Amino acid sequence: MSRLYGDPIEVWTRDGEPTQFVWRDRLFLVRRVLDHWVVAREWWKTSERDPGERRFWRVEAGPGRDVGSYELRYDTASSGWLLLRAWD
Amino acid sequence: MAPPFPHLNVSSAYSMRYGTAFPRALVNRAVEHGMDILALTDRDGLYGAIKHAQACADAGIAPVLGVSLALDVPASAFTPVPGVRTPRPRTGGNAEDRVTVLARSGGWSRLCRLVTAAHHAGERGAPKVTRKLVGEWAGGAGEHGFGADDGLVVLLGPRSDVGRAVAERRDEQARTLLGLWRASVPGVVIELVDQYGFRDAITAVRMLGLAESMGVPAVLTNAARYLDPADHQVGDVLDAARQLVPLHPRHLERTTSHAYLKSTKEMWQVAAKVCGADQERVVRLLSTTRRLAEACSMDPLGLLALRNDPPDLNLPEVGRDPVPLLRHRVEDGLVARGLDRSDEARRRLRDEMAVIERKRLSGYFIAVAGITDMIRGMGIRCAIRGSGAGSLVNHLIGIGEVNPLDHGLLMERFLSEGRIGLPDIDVDVESARRLDCYKAIFDRYGEARVACVSMMETYRARSAIRDVAGAMGLPPHEIDAIAKAFPHIRARQITASLNDLPELRDSRLGEAGLDRVFRLAEKLDGLPRHIALHPCGVLIGNTGLRDRTPVERSLLEFPMSQFDKDDVEEAGLLKLDVLGVRMQSAMAYALSEIKRVDDVAVELDTQQGDEPDVQYVPHDDQETYDMICAPRTLGCFQIESPGQRELVAKLEPRKMHDLIVDISLFRPGPVNSDMVTPYLEARHGWRQPHYPHERLREALKETHGVVVFHEQVLRIIEVMTGRDLSFAEKLRRTLDTPEGRERVRKTFVPMAKANGFDDAAVDRAWKVLDAFGAFGFCKAHAAAFALPTYQSAWLKRHHAAAFFAGVLTHEPGMYPSRVIIDEARQCGIKILPLDVNKSGKDWRVERLGLRVRVRPSQLSEPAAGRRREFRIGEIGKGYALRVPFSAIKGVSQAEVERMVAGQPYTSLADFWDRARPSRPTIERIVQVGGLDALHDLHPGGPRWRPGELTRRDLIAQVGVLERTSASGVRAGPRASKRYVPAGARDRPAHAVPQPSAQLPLGFGEHLPPGELPEMTETEMVEAELEILGIDVSRHIVSFHDELLDALGVVRSRDLLRPRNGAEILVAGVKVATQTPAVRSGQRVIFTTLDDSTGPIDLTFFESVQGRCAATVFGSWLLLAKGVVRRTGTRAVSLRAVDCWDLTALDRLWRAEGIDAVRAVLDQAPQEAAGVGGRRIEYANGFRLSPYSDLGPAVADPPRRLWHASQGSSGPTAA
Repeated sequence: MSRLYGDPIEVWTRDGEPTQFVWRDRLFLVRRVLDHWVVAREWWKTSERDPGERRFWRVEAGPGRDVGSYELRYDTASSGWLLLRAWD
Repeated sequence: MAPPFPHLNVSSAYSMRYGTAFPRALVNRAVEHGMDILALTDRDGLYGAIKHAQACADAGIAPVLGVSLALDVPASAFTPVPGVRTPRPRTGGNAEDRVTVLARSGGWSRLCRLVTAAHHAGERGAPKVTRKLVGEWAGGAGEHGFGADDGLVVLLGPRSDVGRAVAERRDEQARTLLGLWRASVPGVVIELVDQYGFRDAITAVRMLGLAESMGVPAVLTNAARYLDPADHQVGDVLDAARQLVPLHPRHLERTTSHAYLKSTKEMWQVAAKVCGADQERVVRLLSTTRRLAEACSMDPLGLLALRNDPPDLNLPEVGRDPVPLLRHRVEDGLVARGLDRSDEARRRLRDEMAVIERKRLSGYFIAVAGITDMIRGMGIRCAIRGSGAGSLVNHLIGIGEVNPLDHGLLMERFLSEGRIGLPDIDVDVESARRLDCYKAIFDRYGEARVACVSMMETYRARSAIRDVAGAMGLPPHEIDAIAKAFPHIRARQITASLNDLPELRDSRLGEAGLDRVFRLAEKLDGLPRHIALHPCGVLIGNTGLRDRTPVERSLLEFPMSQFDKDDVEEAGLLKLDVLGVRMQSAMAYALSEIKRVDDVAVELDTQQGDEPDVQYVPHDDQETYDMICAPRTLGCFQIESPGQRELVAKLEPRKMHDLIVDISLFRPGPVNSDMVTPYLEARHGWRQPHYPHERLREALKETHGVVVFHEQVLRIIEVMTGRDLSFAEKLRRTLDTPEGRERVRKTFVPMAKANGFDDAAVDRAWKVLDAFGAFGFCKAHAAAFALPTYQSAWLKRHHAAAFFAGVLTHEPGMYPSRVIIDEARQCGIKILPLDVNKSGKDWRVERLGLRVRVRPSQLSEPAAGRRREFRIGEIGKGYALRVPFSAIKGVSQAEVERMVAGQPYTSLADFWDRARPSRPTIERIVQVGGLDALHDLHPGGPRWRPGELTRRDLIAQVGVLERTSASGVRAGPRASKRYVPAGARDRPAHAVPQPSAQLPLGFGEHLPPGELPEMTETEMVEAELEILGIDVSRHIVSFHDELLDALGVVRSRDLLRPRNGAEILVAGVKVATQTPAVRSGQRVIFTTLDDSTGPIDLTFFESVQGRCAATVFGSWLLLAKGVVRRTGTRAVSLRAVDCWDLTALDRLWRAEGIDAVRAVLDQAPQEAAGVGGRRIEYANGFRLSPYSDLGPAVADPPRRLWHASQGSSGPTAA
């Protein structure tokens, strides 16, 4: 069962890949990257500069021993991370 | 350290409207990444293959070549409605299934043949393959699962049928399809791609699993289409433009920006992502990729025939050993041309034959001679042009009529020992019959040995703006308006031109929020857009031709190589240029009219002879030169432009050699480096000729010490360095660029000094070479041009009416028809209106009364009795020209044929019934008076004349006729220009004549004559301009005579009266504008006005363009204020100070009177900013405006009344 969140989170990365993140005051360690993809924005709709792209990670992570799947999103234009969904 | 990653799926800009980077840029990037192998797998063709091989050879890496082809999917068995195919989405990521086919190291020929077969199987421009077709060309089994060494390998990627089945989780179907592929093609490989799109990785993982389970090798590629990630916006625009849809994610090929040429490290990351963390799998995947790349690496020299020594040429087959054949032909030629006793000819022939035989080109000359013989045998005028005229062999075997020994032409310009590259023979044929020549060549040599050359049409400002604006979803009419606002500039100049050009500044396009459109359009600059038939190149080879070049079909179904003219040469393919020249067609038509009307046969190409009824054309006819000096050269080949008219007036040519010099001087180079003035001064004896050294006198004497010809450059180098002409030609070719000139200087100066010349002489000689070396003109070219120039002038002088009939019919020159008509009128020729009983398909000459026939004896009067007084009005007296049916706007070829076939007609109803014109056509014919003679109408005068039939009555009757007709018009089959292979041509035309269902009917309704008003003179001229594009009954300017006289406007015929420097007013119809390259680096607008008494040439310098440019480009009738500049005894030009739209002034005059007009004219001109843009500066001080040599952008000019030409007459593909 997955739930949608969309919460801003803080993420630590190594070689561009997330290794740990803090969500709702808990530190999650990334155990495994399940999938990773990129979605480019529809640049022709914005009149400003390049809107950049959004990078998605689906990871197995957990605060302790029990792990769940989480989908994280990084927006290159705003340099901000979101936690999009969680399966637990 | 792991070996570098080889990219095996790369699309360059030659994947039209798909790729964004040129092969060389991709190769350079690969080299930066440390890669040693790079593939090029463009979509649908091998357009970039040669350029890729060149770039790889230069960079020292190995090329792999392949192609991406669409799969022809048979209609699905599960169609919901039987017989109706389920439509596949036309756009977007799953538009069509594609596979990539790579050639193994020795598989280039098979790849070429497969591409040719794919184009043959699919629709034009949309090649398709099936498994079976690929299997036919894929070659033997081989080993390692990659097929045979000379075979092909198929990559099945995510866009293939197998890949799609995997992505849609139809695993069984995927296995079946892969099995089918392996059954038909020995070399099958699974291609994994992960561009970080949603589900890309999952599909790749599953495809890897499929490959492993079935024992098929799997490789990794990135399906690259960009150089840098940022290029994806251009790619998106191209995706939208290709499919003619607005930008929307649904239509795009990509979802990410990752389809760029990634580095080895980035590709390892991709491999790791696809294989999970399984290191062993990663290594296996990358090593298989590496092995396949090595198995497909080619030696680039295998493709680049010219870089081999000796060059590996595709030589024509002539049936026998060509060497003795050519030797016999030239021997016979010596006798036939009367040169068998000339030692000079024999010596020259020996030298030429030695070079030809060493280069093994005998067969090429035999084949070309065979083709020119065949063309002449078909009764088509055919002349050699270009450097080929310098070869004696060409003259002896009948390819060219110019004897190079007569004009001091050198062979080395055409073919020399040290020259790398292939000789290129150019022949001019009648433009109207060029395609007939092509058909005959294909018929004789067969499609297997012959193919046309193609060329890439690339994005320029207008096309780029159209495509980008379309992708951005702008409304079509706005796109049209924006694109047309720009002149024909390069796409990358768009933003700069918005600020630089006054007419664009005024349009305020720069402030219209179109920044993004313009920015993206600039990025499309120079990208190939579509392929087209080259205007003249024909490849002539042997049956192995299609092993070397892929062939597709052109728009007219001609087999066409995918290589452009540079590539075919690099690939070792010999070509012949068959150029259609409209003037040749015009002259052929003139000759036929002379024969028909006067029953005189004119032998244009023969100077003298004994046949009594034949008129010969000697090259020293002073009456012709009188006319050229006058300078009444409008309509003549090469010398009709304003600049040339000024030049011939100053140069006063009196013999053929003068014309050769004139043509050579009228080039941007000589004009801009100011070679003209010293030449003219020395020619007229105002200045002593100057020679850099006494020993150069011989070479420079013919042009009074000025370097005009390439041949003279060669002679200077030969004399100064003491080396031979081949060496000189090599140096000359290097003079084109500043760096090249520096290199040549370093060779030339020491050699000349070593050869015994003192420093000062060497310095002077070098200065000459430095300044003029790159600009000189090939004398062989000029000699080949001078002949038709003289011939056309001769025809104009002696058979003016027939000449103008030819010119009007074939439109060879830069001026629109109405200007030619006006010139004809001034020559004393009467222009007769359209008449359904007298007009023909084309312009016809009619005799007015009897005229004393021109006898050959009259022409050969001694030069002493030369009449210096030249009266233009005499030369066409006694003749008239009849407006033809084909001049009617919108008339179809079939209609014209019916109208001519049905003559004579007895009434409007008869014409309507038998000629069966469409209703708009017949109405137009009535409007321009085509039935005036038949119905005895006399328009003009009072509008209302009861009881008398008027043109408007006739138009009303047309309506009645149409209502009473039983049936409309049947469209007849059109004559086709298409190429149909010989075998298919014999099929009977399917059209069986059907009996007409119509009966001749009288008028069904009664219309009393005179019920409707007659047309006024103004209305008549308006109708003529609208329908025919010609003011037949009156000159358009004559309507403004009253105003012009009131203002004291000077007419063209009186231009010689005002003193130099006087400020005068002139007016007329704008007939041409040009913005050629000029010395000062300004953008100068040259405009020609026609005021019914002759042409008026105006020059607008940048200082006045700020206020004038929009009017000059935008209006048709102009009034201009200019300062008289006398440039010669008969030459006058005007420096424009200001200009106005005459129509607007006329309106003002009618509304407010003459004083209001005067007030406008006297207003002090407002200063506006001039033309911007950085000058392009050449080393010798020659500067060029970046906007010169462009056709301007205009508001809508009336149809065909006016046009801007980029150069002088005749197509020049030099």
